[in-house]
Amino acid sequence: MGDRKSEVLQGTLDLMVLKTLYALGPLHGFGIARRIEQVSDGVLDLNEGTVYTALLRLQQQGWITSKWGTSENNRRARFYSITRQGTKQLERETENWGRVAGVMERVLKLERQT
Amino acid sequence: MRRLRVLWARVLGQVSQGREDAALDEEIHEHIALLTERYRGQGMSAQDAARAARRQFGNVTLLKERQRGQRGMLLVGELWRDVCFGMRMLAKKPGLHAAMVLTLALGIGANTTVFSIVDAVLLRPLPYAHPEQLMEVRSRQMAGAMPDGAVCYPDFFDWRAQSQSFEELVSYHGESLTLTGVERPQHLDGEVVSWNLLPLAGVKPEQGLGFRPEDEEAGSRVVMISHMLWVSQFGSDPRIVGRRIQLSGEAYRIVGVMPTTFRFPVDAPQNTFWTTLAVDNDGTPKANTANRGNHELAVIGRLKPGVASAQADAEMKAIAGRLAQKYPDTNTENNSAHVLSELTALLGDTRTLLMVILGAVGLVLLIACGNVGNLLLVRSRERTREMAMRSALGANRSRLVRQLLVESLMLSALGGLAGCALAFAATPVVLRLIGDSVPRVADAGVNLPVLAFALAVSLASGFVFGLVPAITSAQGDLLSPLKNGGRGETDGRRGLGSVVIVGQVALGIVLTAGAALLATSYAHLARSDEGFKTDHLLTFMFETPDSRYSSTRPEFYRQYFEKLRALPGVKAAAGSVILPMTDNSVHISFENPEHPLPKGQLESARMDLVSPEYFRAMDIPLLAGRDFSDADTENSPQVMIVSRGFAEKFFHGKNVIGKKLKPGAGNDGPPVWREIVGVVGDVRHGAMSQDLDPVYYLTAGQFSKWCCMYSVVRTGLEPLSLEPDVRRLVASMDGNIPVTDVRTMRDRIGFQLAQPRFAMVLLSAFAGLALVLTLVGLYGVMAYSVAARKREIGVRLALGAPRQMVFRMVLHQAAMLVAVGMGLGIAAALASGSILQAYLYGTGARNPIVLAGVCGLVAATGLMAAYLPARRAMQVDPALALRCE
Repeated sequence: MGDRKSEVLQGTLDLMVLKTLYALGPLHGFGIARRIEQVSDGVLDLNEGTVYTALLRLQQQGWITSKWGTSENNRRARFYSITRQGTKQLERETENWGRVAGVMERVLKLERQT
Repeated sequence: MRRLRVLWARVLGQVSQGREDAALDEEIHEHIALLTERYRGQGMSAQDAARAARRQFGNVTLLKERQRGQRGMLLVGELWRDVCFGMRMLAKKPGLHAAMVLTLALGIGANTTVFSIVDAVLLRPLPYAHPEQLMEVRSRQMAGAMPDGAVCYPDFFDWRAQSQSFEELVSYHGESLTLTGVERPQHLDGEVVSWNLLPLAGVKPEQGLGFRPEDEEAGSRVVMISHMLWVSQFGSDPRIVGRRIQLSGEAYRIVGVMPTTFRFPVDAPQNTFWTTLAVDNDGTPKANTANRGNHELAVIGRLKPGVASAQADAEMKAIAGRLAQKYPDTNTENNSAHVLSELTALLGDTRTLLMVILGAVGLVLLIACGNVGNLLLVRSRERTREMAMRSALGANRSRLVRQLLVESLMLSALGGLAGCALAFAATPVVLRLIGDSVPRVADAGVNLPVLAFALAVSLASGFVFGLVPAITSAQGDLLSPLKNGGRGETDGRRGLGSVVIVGQVALGIVLTAGAALLATSYAHLARSDEGFKTDHLLTFMFETPDSRYSSTRPEFYRQYFEKLRALPGVKAAAGSVILPMTDNSVHISFENPEHPLPKGQLESARMDLVSPEYFRAMDIPLLAGRDFSDADTENSPQVMIVSRGFAEKFFHGKNVIGKKLKPGAGNDGPPVWREIVGVVGDVRHGAMSQDLDPVYYLTAGQFSKWCCMYSVVRTGLEPLSLEPDVRRLVASMDGNIPVTDVRTMRDRIGFQLAQPRFAMVLLSAFAGLALVLTLVGLYGVMAYSVAARKREIGVRLALGAPRQMVFRMVLHQAAMLVAVGMGLGIAAALASGSILQAYLYGTGARNPIVLAGVCGLVAATGLMAAYLPARRAMQVDPALALRCE
C-alpha cells in the first residue's frame, strides 16, 4: 500500500454513502465500507467507524432509512436504503459537487503570471 | 424545516439512547468480525487479523461517544456519567471534600443571609404605585453645615400651593393617641398627614373612601385605621365606616380601613391609624398649622410624569428662598430645600452600611473559593496520572476540562445547598441582631430571589475555583507523569497556590481591619459617659389627654409621682418629656440680654421639660443652685436650670445662677423671662453623639399645656419587676390612660446601639471566618509544599544541612507569603478605610494602632499555621525520603 493516502474531505463521506446506497440498493455498514474501499482503490484513508457517524447523520436528515435483516451469510445486520428525499438530495449534491470540482480545477490550472 | 426534522430525530434519539446503543454495539461488533474474517482469509494469524481489523475500524469508544452525542441532545447522558463519576471521586476522599463543601457552605450561606437582608431593605420597591416617582422634600439651610431639617406647616402649605413639579405633596408626622370606649383602652401609634395621602400612595382603602380635602379644616376629626386594628378592636365590623370612636378623649369618624399590606411611613409598621392635619389646627392664630417656628413635619411628594428629581430640587430651592425673603424672622435658617428619592431618604446611611457588609461577605466567599481552589490544585496534582491515562485512552482536552468542571460544580452545588440550609438557620438570628435598627428589615427572609442569588453565587464560585485547576490539569505534558509515576512536581501549580494565599491574606487583613475599627468605635460608644446612671432605671409613658388634663396636669403629676415614690422598691421617681440617649430632641431658641441678636438668628439649644427630682432619679449631679420643686408653679416666679455645657457655651463658665433668659417656649401665652436657679451635669442625648450637647431644663409644673412626660423610676430591684405595680397605680388614677412603652433605660440604649452593634458583630464574624479560612488555606499550602519537597529536603539533610535550617526555611517561606499579603492588605485597608468613616466614633478610619494589632494577629496566627508543616519538614528522614522516590 502506498503511504500517500488522502484524508476524506469533510462532508464528502455523506455524499459517498448516499451515492453508494443509490447505486447498489440496500446495504449494511460493512458493505458500504467495502464498496468505498473498492472504488477508492486504497487511496482514501478512512476509519471505517466514521461510516456509522455518516449513516446516523443521513438518517436524522431523513435521507436514508434502516431496517434489520439477514445478510448474505445468514447473519443479522442493519440494512440502510436511500429514501425519495435522499435521491433528490443526491441530485442536488452531485450537481453542487460538479460545480465545486469545476471551480477547483480551474483554480488549480492557473498559470503563474510574472 | 430540515432543522426541525433533525431536532425531532434528536429528541426521539434521546429517548431511545439505550436501545440505539445496543444496536450500534452489534453493528460495530459485526463489522469488526467481518473485517477480521477477511484478514484471516488473506492468511494472517488470528491475533494479527484482529489487530488489523481494529486499526481499520478506528477508535470504537470515541465513535460510540460521538454517535451518542450526535443522536441525542445536550449530552445529557454524558453529563450524567460525568456526574456519576464525579460522585465516585467525591466519595473517594470524603474528608477532604466534606471540608471543601463546608468551606463553601459557610461562604455561600453567609452571602445568602446578607443578600436576603439587602433584598428586603435595598432592592424591593416601596409598596406604593410607581415608587420611583416618590421623593422626600426637606428643609435645609443654604450656607450652613446643618443637616437637612424638618418642615413647618405654613412652609408646607406654601410648597404645596406653589410647586409645579409635584402631583401631590403630603406632610406627615408621628402621633400617639389612646383608644377608649373599647374593652381595654389601648395606646395607638399613628400618623398625622395631609388629606392627599392616598392619591400620593396610589393605594385604595379596602373599605370607605378615605380623606377629602375638607377634612383638613379645623375641627374635623376623621381617621383611617389599619386592617389589623379593625380586626383586633372592632371585630371586623362590616359597617365600621362612619362609626365614631374615642381617641384621647375626642370623637373621630372612621372614613376608611386600609389593606393589610398598607404601611405609611414604610419604616413605621406599627402604625394603626392615619388622621388629617386638622388635629394640629385648633382654629386660633397660635395653632401649630400657623406656626412657622415649629419644624416637626416630614414631606413626601409624587413627581409629575416626566419631571426629573433635579428639576424638582431646583424648584423647591427657589420656593424656599422666596419664603425666606418673605419671612426673615422665621425662615432665615431654612432658606433652601432638598429633594431626594424616598428610598434614599428612608435608608440614609444604612444603604452604605449594608453594601459594606455585602462587600465584606463577598470577600469571605472569595477567600473560601481560594481555599477550595487550592485544595483542588493539590488534588489535581494527585490526579495527574489519572488525567494522563484518560488522555492516553482517547479523551480529548475539552472532555477532561469538562469532567473537572463538573466535579467543581458538584462541589459548589453541594456547598450551595448546605449554604441555603445555613442561611435558613442564620437569617432569623441576624434579624434578631439587627432588630428595628434597619428599616424594612423585618420583611427579610430566604425567598425565591434569594435562592436564585444563592444558586448564581454557587455556580459562579464553582467556575472561579474550578476553572483554574481544570485548565492547569488538562494542560501540559501528559506523558511524563505516566513515565515517572506521577511524582513530578509542577512549579507553576505551586506558584498559583502561593498567589491565592497572598490574596487571601490581603483580603483577610482588609476585613479584619474593618471589623477592628468598628469594634474600637463600638467600644468607644459603649464606654462613653452618659452623664447619668443607666442601670436600675425603668422608663415608661402614658398620655394625659388635653381634653381632660389641660388645666389640671401639674396637680395630677404631683399626686402621681408622690404615689409612685411610695411604691415598694422605688428609690426615686420623676418625669421628663425627652429621655436622654434616645436621639430625641427639641431645640428651642432663646433671647439672651448679654448677647442680643436679631430675631431670625437667635441662639438655640436643646430643651427638656422635667418634673422635680428628675436629676436625683437619673443621678445627674446638681452642681450649683437648686432643683425644681413643687413650689415652682404657673403663678410663682418662672425658673429654669441649665447644664454645665450650657453655662460654658453661653456664659463662658461664669456664675450663671440668677441670670435671666427668655426661651421661645410659652405655656398659654407669649414666652417670658426665666431665672436660672440651678446648674446640672451634662448628659448625652443619643448613643451615637459624641459630644455632651448643652441643654436647658424647664419644669413641667410651669407648663400645664405640654404633654406628655415619660416616667423614670430609680429602683434597687430588677426594673421590669415594677411594671405590674406601675400599671395598677396609673389605672387606679385614670382607667382610660394605658401605660405604654415600658422599657429599661439599658434596653433603650441597646436599641440605639443596635446598628453599630450588628455592623460590628457581622463584620467581626466575617473577619473571623476569613481569618480562619486563610489560616487553613496557608496550612494546606505549606503542608502540601513540604510534602512535595520531601525529596529536596531529604537531599539537604543528607548533605548535612542542620534540621533547624530546614525548619527555618519552611517558616521563611510561609512568612514571605504572609508578608507580601500583609503589605497588599495594609495598602488596601488604608485605601478603603474611608468607606467606614461615617460609622466610626472615637477613631479615625486609618487607625495605626488598630492596623498594627491586626497585622500582629495575622502574623502570629500565620506562623502558627506554618509551624506544623515546618516541624514535619524538620522530621523528614532523609533515608526514607530518598528511597521512596
